[in-house]
Amino acid sequence: MSKVLALINSDHRSVRWGTVIFSLLVGAALWESVGWSFNQAIMAPLIGGADHPGTIPRLYKYIVHDEEYRLSLLQSVQLFSTGFALAVVFSVPLGIIMARLATLRVALESYILVLYVTPMIALIPFILSILGFDFWPKVLVVFLFAFFPILYNTLEGARSVKPELLEVAKSFRSSEVAIWFDVLIPYTLPYTLTGIRQAAGRALVGMVAAEFFLATSGLGEELITASRNFDMAGVLATILVITGLGITFMRIAQAFEQKYSAWRGVNR
Amino acid sequence: MSVDLNADGPADGQSDRSARIEINSIGKRYGDLQVFQDINLDFNEREIVTIVGPSGCGKTTLLRCIDGLLPVSEGEIRIEGELMTTPREGVAMVFQHFGLFPWKTVFQNVGYGLKLAGASKAEIAEKVPYFINLVGLDGFDSSFPYQLSGGMQQRCGLARALAMEPSVLLMDEPFAAVDAQTREILQFELLRIWDMRPMTMIFVTHSIEEAVLMGDRVVVLKGRPSSVFEIIDVNLPAPRDRSTLAHPRFSELREHVWGTLMDEVRAAEFDVN
Repeated sequence: MSKVLALINSDHRSVRWGTVIFSLLVGAALWESVGWSFNQAIMAPLIGGADHPGTIPRLYKYIVHDEEYRLSLLQSVQLFSTGFALAVVFSVPLGIIMARLATLRVALESYILVLYVTPMIALIPFILSILGFDFWPKVLVVFLFAFFPILYNTLEGARSVKPELLEVAKSFRSSEVAIWFDVLIPYTLPYTLTGIRQAAGRALVGMVAAEFFLATSGLGEELITASRNFDMAGVLATILVITGLGITFMRIAQAFEQKYSAWRGVNR
Repeated sequence: MSVDLNADGPADGQSDRSARIEINSIGKRYGDLQVFQDINLDFNEREIVTIVGPSGCGKTTLLRCIDGLLPVSEGEIRIEGELMTTPREGVAMVFQHFGLFPWKTVFQNVGYGLKLAGASKAEIAEKVPYFINLVGLDGFDSSFPYQLSGGMQQRCGLARALAMEPSVLLMDEPFAAVDAQTREILQFELLRIWDMRPMTMIFVTHSIEEAVLMGDRVVVLKGRPSSVFEIIDVNLPAPRDRSTLAHPRFSELREHVWGTLMDEVRAAEFDVN
């Protein structure tokens, strides 16, 4: 009995990966059987067959054979990257400046708190009526979804900079610019990257929402079209694509996070 | 430590790296709290002065005022005749908390001050290894602080200050955060380095033994608000090493300072504030 327990709880690679693969196979089998037991207009299986178009074959068709779909994917990635990049570019410096200037922080804090907890999706009708249907209003939606988690985490990080380190910088006659590069940015970076990881998921929601509610485009449009045609395999395939994007972005952010928090060492 | 005592540094020990510091009736207040008052001190060139006092007596605050990190509330501090208001060139500080940048390697930490002072890459590449070697950290150039023991971290902090080739070295309880054995090793290391590169050193400590061992003079702070109670000429034979600890004069001075501070230390222990 204890041997079985030890095996189950062992940290060994083979046990861990075996568990992951087994769990995924069970999930896939469940999906497959649910897919087969419903009408194809309600639910599509993973692999499928006659009368039950599968999600994986559809995904393959989309990515490999469908020029238009690839364009949609590109559109979405463009929208996401633009909004996300702008969010990073604006939120990080603002976060650090706010940590350095107490007055500015006090002035803006309540707005940030309010906007941080406001479901951004509720602002979409406003953005629509004020800015219309272009590319840039959609970018704004993605921007708003991503901006606040990054700002919030950056601010928290920059505020928690050890006063001892600022004292050292002062003692060594550092300029403010040098303080940013030697102390504030390196110290804040791990916090910012945590914010970026959180923001990636939210920005993805923003991307799909923007493509739904403003001029439909990209993966959002693919999703709506497939759903109108009761093409559940298409819907699920697109959802997998979006999920894939999300996982990719988060992995990238995580890799950066690990790289730039290495100095925290064992004291993490 | 494998350091050649005759090693020639980027600047040799003969150049004028010492300064005369005058402290004229300074005081420091935080609101209603008077930390110290009416302190008058002179520090000579190439002299080690230790400042000792019970915890909370404001000795660390005094040191920060001398470095220009904190403004004084009354009086003035002059270094080479110049009024001290903000950290200045030629004064470097070693911190109790080490104050190393955890994301910088030993090399980058030691080169930090030089880089800020506008030293060229070549200059940094020449000087930094010398000071890393001087404090006995050879081979750890690319280690990060978290990979080093407390003693090694403070060696790095010391090298960072020494790399500025200061005429005044301010030591803020530098060995208070390391274990007792390491502390003893570092004390003698510091004395050895000072022999090679003498400069004005103001050394703040709460350890009476350390104060007597390291100082040419010992300044005893006492009272609330504190002020200078006594200045003791130590007059122990040089060089100071382990044998100094067994010297009768050493025990005599230690007991003397202890007697002076005992009441204060007791009071501080029972001070619930």
